[in-house]
Amino acid sequence: MIQVLLLLFLLDNDGWYYNMATIINADTSNGLELTSDTSGEIELQSAGVTKAKVTANGLQDANGNPLHGGSYRNLIINGDMNIAQRGTSLTGMTNSGGTSYQTVDRFMFGGSGSPFGTWTQSQDTDVPTGQGFANSFKMQCTTSSTDDGQLLFQQRIEGQNLQYIKKGTSNAESLTLSFWVKSNKTGTYIAELKDNDNTRQISYAYTIDSSDTWEKKTITFAGDTTGTFDNDNGRSLDAVFYLKASIALSSGTLNTSWNSTVNANRAVGQVNLADSTSNYINITGVQLEVGEGASDFEHLPYDVQLQRCQRYYNRFGYPFQTPSTGRRIGAGQVPATTVGIVCVPTPTTMRAEPSFDWSNLSLNDVTTNQTITSISTSYQTHGCVTANYNVASGLTRDQPCNLRFSSTSAYLAFISEL
Amino acid sequence: MYKLINNIETQEADTVQRLSDNVCIPFDPSNIDYQEYLEWLSEGNTPEEAE
Repeated sequence: MIQVLLLLFLLDNDGWYYNMATIINADTSNGLELTSDTSGEIELQSAGVTKAKVTANGLQDANGNPLHGGSYRNLIINGDMNIAQRGTSLTGMTNSGGTSYQTVDRFMFGGSGSPFGTWTQSQDTDVPTGQGFANSFKMQCTTSSTDDGQLLFQQRIEGQNLQYIKKGTSNAESLTLSFWVKSNKTGTYIAELKDNDNTRQISYAYTIDSSDTWEKKTITFAGDTTGTFDNDNGRSLDAVFYLKASIALSSGTLNTSWNSTVNANRAVGQVNLADSTSNYINITGVQLEVGEGASDFEHLPYDVQLQRCQRYYNRFGYPFQTPSTGRRIGAGQVPATTVGIVCVPTPTTMRAEPSFDWSNLSLNDVTTNQTITSISTSYQTHGCVTANYNVASGLTRDQPCNLRFSSTSAYLAFISEL
Repeated sequence: MYKLINNIETQEADTVQRLSDNVCIPFDPSNIDYQEYLEWLSEGNTPEEAE
């Protein structure tokens, strides 16, 4: 082994010698090592200006933002709100006591309790200037409500995509949530990470400081050494953005460290965005990543982002595509006069066996078209979802068949959301 | 409300149709629509029989 040890003494601007305490250590086994002084930092400079540095938190840019740089570091899918297979706007959203995906893919809107007013949800083109975004997710209140109830949107994340966070171990990673947000209503808003496998959560209060102004928010959540995520395709982690908090979620003290879930401590201090018909919120650039700082938003190519969304939702036809009457979307055969077994190709394996939503679909067995009444007995293989497409009657047994759009507003959707 | 749909070969239900929006739901424990159906059943409800 060859080892070289250098201790550098340099003259600073005031003429004092000082010890950089920088050790350059090289050997044939471990390569070149640079060790910092007691400050714990090593800076890389160009023309006297710091361009990057190594700190206890890892490699950072000059402003202290992490330079993770790794591909797919964003745990949030479609954080730039570019994909909206279901449509770009839905008006008249009222509380049905449930949850729903309506416009922008992977972002679920939810509410419960008493009526939370009426809302329009949309994929909007209002974005922060100069940040490279084309779309945002917008909620616009059209009928106000001051009744008790909650209002939120969230993204739910599969456990098998979260294993590298090492949650539930002594090496649990911190997570940083960053996003751009704009609203007319200033004040305190709550973001939450919710562990569904272990019934744990952590909340953070952030402030929208200026009305009608895009602001970037960065929130770091400590690692959680308790409760591992299941390594499966189930719903393990929710990244939640509150718009209104019910009394049941806000009557305690905000829980700002990982703990077993106490509902009263989840959304304390949240403003009520439903209290005026002028209220709205836009959000984009949502990123959740390992580490204690936010890296630049990871812009993925459109086709990559679309395919990631299609693991959870596949839309064939209106409004995502423009169908023409008679266009074929799958082929199969007729085992009985009331059913055709058809394979519809999919771009990726879906998270689970999908549910089927459709409108204006028909089966054609060469001689006749029959309207689809239900879809059953399904299974997916790589690149294909096969199912029984049921009709009232009229098909000819043992004929080949194809599945068709019956109108320009026809669609077929495969749903395996979390 | 839900309605069962039979497999034409086995004549046993393997799908349920949600009548509010006609979405057809496979019997897959990982499917959240199916999970909601199971919760609905656990509340003492009964689906319509298959035709």
